[in-house]
Amino acid sequence: MTVPTAEAIAHQELIDKLDIHSIQKPFRNPHWKPNQRRNKNIKTILGDAVRKEVSSLMPTKDNSGAATPSPAGGSSTTSISGSSTPANPPPSTTLQPNLAQASRNLSKLVLERNMRTSGVSTAPNATYMNIESAPSLAHGRHYCDITGLPASYTDPKTRLRYHDKEVFGVVRTLGQSVAEQYLEARGAHTVLK
Amino acid sequence: MVPSATWPPQDCRPEASILPPHLYYPKEAHYEKFTGTDHSGYQHAKSRGVGRTAIVIDNGSSSLRAGWSFEENPRLSVAPIFAKYKERKLNKHYSFVGADVYSDTTAKSHMRHAFEAGTGIVANWDVMESLLDYVFLKMGIDGASGGVDMPIVMTEAVANLPYARKSMTEIMFECYSVPSLAYGIDSLFSYDYNNGKTGLVVSSSHSSTHIIPVLKQKAMLIQATRLNWGGLQSAEYLQKLLRLKYPIFPGKINASQMEYLIRDHCYLSQDYDQELSKYLDWTGLEDRDHVIQYPYTEVIEVQKSEEELARAAEKRKESGRRLQEQAAKMRLEKLILKEEELEYYRDVQRRIIDQTKKEIKRILDAEDMKDEVALERTIKELDKSIREARQKNIGGDPIEEEVEESNYSLLDTPDDQLDEAGLKQKRHQRLMKSSVEARQRAKAEKEAEKARIEEEQRLDDEKRETDIKGWLAQRRNALAETKAKMKDRDRLKADLGNRKSLASQIRMKSIANLASDAPTKKRRRGNDDDNFGANDDDWGVYRQIAVGDASGEDEEEEDLGATLKTLEADLLRYDPDFTEQHTLEAQTDWTKSLIHAFLRGPRPFDSTSQAEVHQLHLNVERIRVPEVIFQPTIAGVDQAGIVEIAADILTHRLNGSSAQEDVLRDVFLTGGNSLFRNFDERLREGLRGMLPAGSPLVTRRAKDAVLDPWRGAAKWAGGGGWKEAAVTRGEYAEKGSDYLKENALGNAYS
Repeated sequence: MTVPTAEAIAHQELIDKLDIHSIQKPFRNPHWKPNQRRNKNIKTILGDAVRKEVSSLMPTKDNSGAATPSPAGGSSTTSISGSSTPANPPPSTTLQPNLAQASRNLSKLVLERNMRTSGVSTAPNATYMNIESAPSLAHGRHYCDITGLPASYTDPKTRLRYHDKEVFGVVRTLGQSVAEQYLEARGAHTVLK
Repeated sequence: MVPSATWPPQDCRPEASILPPHLYYPKEAHYEKFTGTDHSGYQHAKSRGVGRTAIVIDNGSSSLRAGWSFEENPRLSVAPIFAKYKERKLNKHYSFVGADVYSDTTAKSHMRHAFEAGTGIVANWDVMESLLDYVFLKMGIDGASGGVDMPIVMTEAVANLPYARKSMTEIMFECYSVPSLAYGIDSLFSYDYNNGKTGLVVSSSHSSTHIIPVLKQKAMLIQATRLNWGGLQSAEYLQKLLRLKYPIFPGKINASQMEYLIRDHCYLSQDYDQELSKYLDWTGLEDRDHVIQYPYTEVIEVQKSEEELARAAEKRKESGRRLQEQAAKMRLEKLILKEEELEYYRDVQRRIIDQTKKEIKRILDAEDMKDEVALERTIKELDKSIREARQKNIGGDPIEEEVEESNYSLLDTPDDQLDEAGLKQKRHQRLMKSSVEARQRAKAEKEAEKARIEEEQRLDDEKRETDIKGWLAQRRNALAETKAKMKDRDRLKADLGNRKSLASQIRMKSIANLASDAPTKKRRRGNDDDNFGANDDDWGVYRQIAVGDASGEDEEEEDLGATLKTLEADLLRYDPDFTEQHTLEAQTDWTKSLIHAFLRGPRPFDSTSQAEVHQLHLNVERIRVPEVIFQPTIAGVDQAGIVEIAADILTHRLNGSSAQEDVLRDVFLTGGNSLFRNFDERLREGLRGMLPAGSPLVTRRAKDAVLDPWRGAAKWAGGGGWKEAAVTRGEYAEKGSDYLKENALGNAYS
């Protein structure tokens, strides 16, 4: 066994000092036993929520007709459970429909609807998914993938955008995988599924 | 636009006028110092009495800030990271929180984040608990009552997921037994702290950017919009760009350094497209190009002094001389030996002159000689080698190898008249004759070639003197041809790398043709013999199909290069219109190269200098990275930029409402990622273009974009709004972990 150097000893002292594992934490409840599987990512959480909604809707066959999304919107929510008559009126009609909401995909819409119909709150809610910004309607400008300068051309082989002849020379020396990485930085790479 | 058009003329070459670059050094997150436990705050809080003080925690994804509600600033600012491992040698567990993780390499490798990457949602609750442990420890909570006996005010993400909030609430009440708990949104706290009443809150933080309209101090959360882009994503994007820009960079580029680089060097351009198109232009590039010097070790080359070099050369010469002397001595010895031998054989020769045949045979046998002829030959050879050696020793011109006027006498004699020895002799003579003739032929050819070249040169000179124009035109054509050839060769090389290119396909066809027993082409003609090889050019096909055989290519390359050089030299000498600038070398000079400006800035690059190899140049990236928040498609984020989102909220969702103008009057910027220079102007100008003319538009920044959320929460804690919104332990026990009281600065129940 080697003799620890002064440096190593100092480091050991430092990490012993910084360590919080061995410090008593009297403010913690000694009986606190958290769920072992409480760490979930957003995808799992949202998936769980959908499953819960579906299972809670399944047994009550009588509302199956009403649960079909109707274009009329708000009115159908009242017929599901009498107890959840909307306390708040639907949002002022002068407000335009939320563009972000309009562009969500169907599954999100269904989930959203189910959350609403499950009866606690009837006003449209801001959820983690529906506040996400919609895709841009503006025409995107093209920039050179290599240099970032404005690009007027696209290389048909690699699909990279390039600024001028010299950059094109560089583009042509790139391997397929490097070109793909450049595309990935712009989110235009091919994803194999 | 062509960038080279703006390049300065040749006479103001940059080397002379440019100062050495200002070097910036990379910074990264590191261990700073030990944070002690401070009990004073806790004592003070207790002395203030129940319900008047709270622990305020701004639970942000870049750092968790915690402190007492009665203080001006948070006591702690902890990065939401945690490391836990077991030291095997000591059989002991270690846990580190925040920047302390960086103090130990083992800890660093066990680092975990509390938040899901790129979001403001807590995903790892073990890490979160340890962070809270750390906070309560350092704030001096003694746990005398078996828990944390202070109310908690905490921030959370906009539209936090119910599961995440529920988990947090459970931990707070079950594990720490807090008396009450209230949640709010960080950016709204910041707005409230900056006396905002009605306006548009634009909060760009570490993991995302939110835009929330606020009416009379009440957030319209249903109109809130999130853009999934923040400081973290910017850092990742910059890292991606730099890794592509310098694929073989020897230093280590990590995300933490990127965050510092963005903070220190990036800014928002007021007019992106306009500034961008001129960014790599020569003028002022030295100001726009920031050089980041990574640590490196200089390879020290021992420079020998002039004297030393001279001494070494002298030594070398000396030893060479000694060797030469030795060799000369050896040669001399050998020569003497040979001379003695020669003398001896001559003596033998003399002795056998008048002897009987028998005696001659005896003497010759004793000398190991076959017959007189052999003896004569030996003598001749010795004589010749001695003469040569003497010549060498004296160092004069080598004597012209005297053509043995060998007698070819036997050649004309028919075979049947000769005996066996005669035949042998004849064969030998024939061989000699043919080799002598061949040598003469080669010599003649060589001379003819020399004469031809001379003649060509003479004709060329003559033509140049008589018809300079035609001569120049010819040279130019040749130059152009050489260039085209070089280009073709490069193209072919590139094409052969691509399986689908025409060149590759032709090559595959040739291979198939060669391998096939019945080449298709020939069969069509109905000729069985394909005559392959009858024409010398046929063999060229093997050169064509050979790929990756560098030796042959190199030769050709060299050849073209040499031709180009001589042509250019000729033109330089005789053509007044052809200057240094027109040579290929000058045209590929780095001062002309946009790529060079992009990669290495306005100075020459020396690939042997370790310092320069370890440099990163930030130029276009300085505006390209922050720009993403205005144009997310640049980085492949399929969302609208903040101007578009804000304009959509203002002109569509708030259209017609009287609040619209009031909201316009106060566009409020907060969050660490909004600190870029020009962020407010850029947003204002962008919005102005999308709003009706004359709209009253005012943008302002938070006083402290980073700490104001905490301060706002601290201000709010203790007020009436807080008392209404806080969920007490009793309420929790009664109504469960889903229970939430909505408040003006927090999320709505969902």
